[in-house]
This record gives sequence, C-alpha cells and structure tokens, in this order.
Amino acid sequence: MNWYRNPSAIEQLAAAYVAGTLRGPARRRFAAAMQTRPALVAAVNEWTRRLGPLHEALPPQEPSAALWNRIAKETTQRAAPAATRSWWRPLLAPAPAGALVVGLLVGTALPVVWQAQERSRRDMELPDSYVGVLATREGQPGLIVSSLRKGRRVDIKQVTPVDVPAGHTLYLWRIDKAGAIAPVGPLPQGKFVHIDLDAPAEEVFFPAVELAVSIEPAGVRPAVPSAPFVYRGLCGKVWR
Amino acid sequence: MDERDEVGELLARIGLRDAQAFETLYRRVAGRLMAVALRVMQDRAAAEDVLQEVFAALWNRADGAAPGQHRTLAWLCVVTRHRAIDLLRKRRPEEPLHWRDAQGEERMHDVPADDASPMARLLAREDDAQLAHCMGELEPEPRRALLLAFHDGLTHAEIAQRMARPLGTVKAWTRRSLLRLKGCMEAVA
Repeated sequence: MNWYRNPSAIEQLAAAYVAGTLRGPARRRFAAAMQTRPALVAAVNEWTRRLGPLHEALPPQEPSAALWNRIAKETTQRAAPAATRSWWRPLLAPAPAGALVVGLLVGTALPVVWQAQERSRRDMELPDSYVGVLATREGQPGLIVSSLRKGRRVDIKQVTPVDVPAGHTLYLWRIDKAGAIAPVGPLPQGKFVHIDLDAPAEEVFFPAVELAVSIEPAGVRPAVPSAPFVYRGLCGKVWR
Repeated sequence: MDERDEVGELLARIGLRDAQAFETLYRRVAGRLMAVALRVMQDRAAAEDVLQEVFAALWNRADGAAPGQHRTLAWLCVVTRHRAIDLLRKRRPEEPLHWRDAQGEERMHDVPADDASPMARLLAREDDAQLAHCMGELEPEPRRALLLAFHDGLTHAEIAQRMARPLGTVKAWTRRSLLRLKGCMEAVA
C-alpha cells in the first residue's frame, strides 16, 4: 500500500512536516504529494492549527528598517517589462490586477449598462454583482466570472483557454478567507458559457474571497480539488 | 476581523498583485516571522535573508501552498522555518552545535533567549491554555527534543548529540510526543 493511503502514515508525516522534523528530500516529496492529495493537506492544516501557538511563544523580533526596502525593490518596485504587443495588452498588465479592471469593465460594467439602458434610461446604477477575474498559473488573465447578486446564473468568459483532457472538465471552486475550499460546479467548455446555480449567487459566493478552477474527471462531484488549480483569482462584490 | 481572517484576506489580495496588501502583511507579520527565522539562523542578517526569500515567494506566487491549504499566520511561520532550515543547510552543511567565533568566543547553536523560554511564555499565555496544558503533560526530555526541532530547526541527529541520547530514542520521542499532543488536545477539547 502507498503511504498516502495509510491514515496513520499521513498523520505522522503531516505532524513531522509541521513540527520541522521531516527534512530534505523527504520533506520535498511530501510537499509535492500535497499538491494532489487533499487528505495530506487536511492533516497538515490540522497540525498547523494545533501547533500554531508554539510559534507565538517566541518573542517577536523586529527586522531592520532596510529589509522592507530590499523586499520592495525585489517585488512591488521591480520595473515591469516594456509592452511591445497590441495596444490593448498594456491594459492587462500587470496581470491579474490589470485584468481585474478590464474584467470589471468588459465582464460586468458594459453588459450591465446595456441591460440597464434597455430596461430604463432613468436608472443607470449598476445592479449588485459578483465578479471574479482569475489568472492562469503563468499569471496571465485567464477567466472572467460574473453573476448578479440575487441571480442564479453565472456567466463565464475564458480569456486564456487551457487544455482539458478527454473525460475531464473544468471545475469551479470558491475559497474563503481562511483558505477553505468549497465546490461550485463544473464549467462547460467554450469561450462564453454559463452555469445555473442551485441557490442564489449571494448564498454561493458570499463567503468567497477567491475563485479557482481545477480540472476534474467528468461526471463526478468532488468535495475537494484532486489537481492543482489552473485558474485562480479574487472574487469581488460590486456593491456598496 | 480576527488574525486568521486578516492574514488570509491579505494573502488573497497579494495573489492579485495588491502592493498595499503586501506591505500591510509585511508590517503585520514580519516581527513574528523574524523571530522564527532568527531562532533557526542565530544571525540577524541571515534571518533577514530568509524573510526576503519568503516575501519574494509570496509576491511571485511561489510559496508552494497546496490547493486547500489554510494560508494563515501559523502557515507563514511553517513556511519561514522550512526556508530557514534550507538556507542554513545550504550555507553551513556541516553546522556544528558548538563552535568558536572569529573573536575566539565559544558559541552554541541554540543560545537561550534572554527572557523567558518559549515554553515558559507558552505556559503563561492564557489563550493557548490547551496546547500549553498538553505540552506540560509531556515528559521533560521528549518535550525538550520536540521544541529543539520546532524552534531551533535541529535535526534528529543534532538533538541526539545535544541531549546525549541515542538517535533512535530522540526519533521515538518526537514522534510519540506529537501523537500524545494530538490525543491530549482532542481529549481536552
């Protein structure tokens, strides 16, 4: 039997991983296995919570003032590469923050404005909506997800397609503040598609701070992702 | 918003390249992560190198979090300790437990903190009473072995040398201590 099918082995390895006694190649193999084995992740989550107070038993140590400047230079202040592609590409960079803006405009604002114009020219206020702009694993704008707050229909626009093997489907997940994942449902294939929710969007997306998509076997209703996410990004609530 | 919610939400925003959230997270947790890194590295400059690697990985989405992994402050501490251990081994693969520095002064790997020990601080924290109670239930030597691994990043072999106990004994201590902790905390809950 493989060790990751043995609950006792999972428990001991997860404990050792969090406690710091799992070392070198063994720790790296365990971390790699966590990417596709939810049972390992659940055990590590539990041990991380359990031993968390031990970290707080160490007195905080303030780093030097120079450290933040070093980190900022390597990250947020790093010069973005010059855009040499189409005129609209800079609007998407840096992805996915730029994609959020474009997604809000293209995915929500424009259709809603058109609908609002058709309904009534006196009422141009945007209806309450959820909007998710998800990046690919490479950080490119990947998927735009939108739904009216009280609606049961979710519209999805695939900006950057990913290969989905035969017998598999894209599967949408919501992620809450604590990182807990809950299934939303399978996504049809196509550039512009929609899914119908069993409950109002407000119930489905209220806990979500992020949305993510994995590739799952078709016809199953997974409780947790069985594979790494291919899209992931912020879920925004567009109302006051 | 509690601490777990705040860190999780900041990390979610950082995933979308929110620079303000990134700096907020740094201001919020750097002191805590520095303590974790410094305990392992025993050198402030090296500990700051660890933090730089950790935050760069967070910004570049290279933190290695698995799908479904709870990204909390405790998780950040685990990530930081793993990075510190990796960096320590990379820089000083033959790290001795006792050595003399350039000035000829004798040094030990796990120099005790000036103030109360981590165990004493843990026992003093009322909100961590459950873990503190269960840690207190462990035998002194196995508990010390576990804390040497957890806080100081020592390997089983180093703990065995430090405590002058057989390697197999130390391995059994840490394994059994963790399982006893779990059983105790579930019983207390």
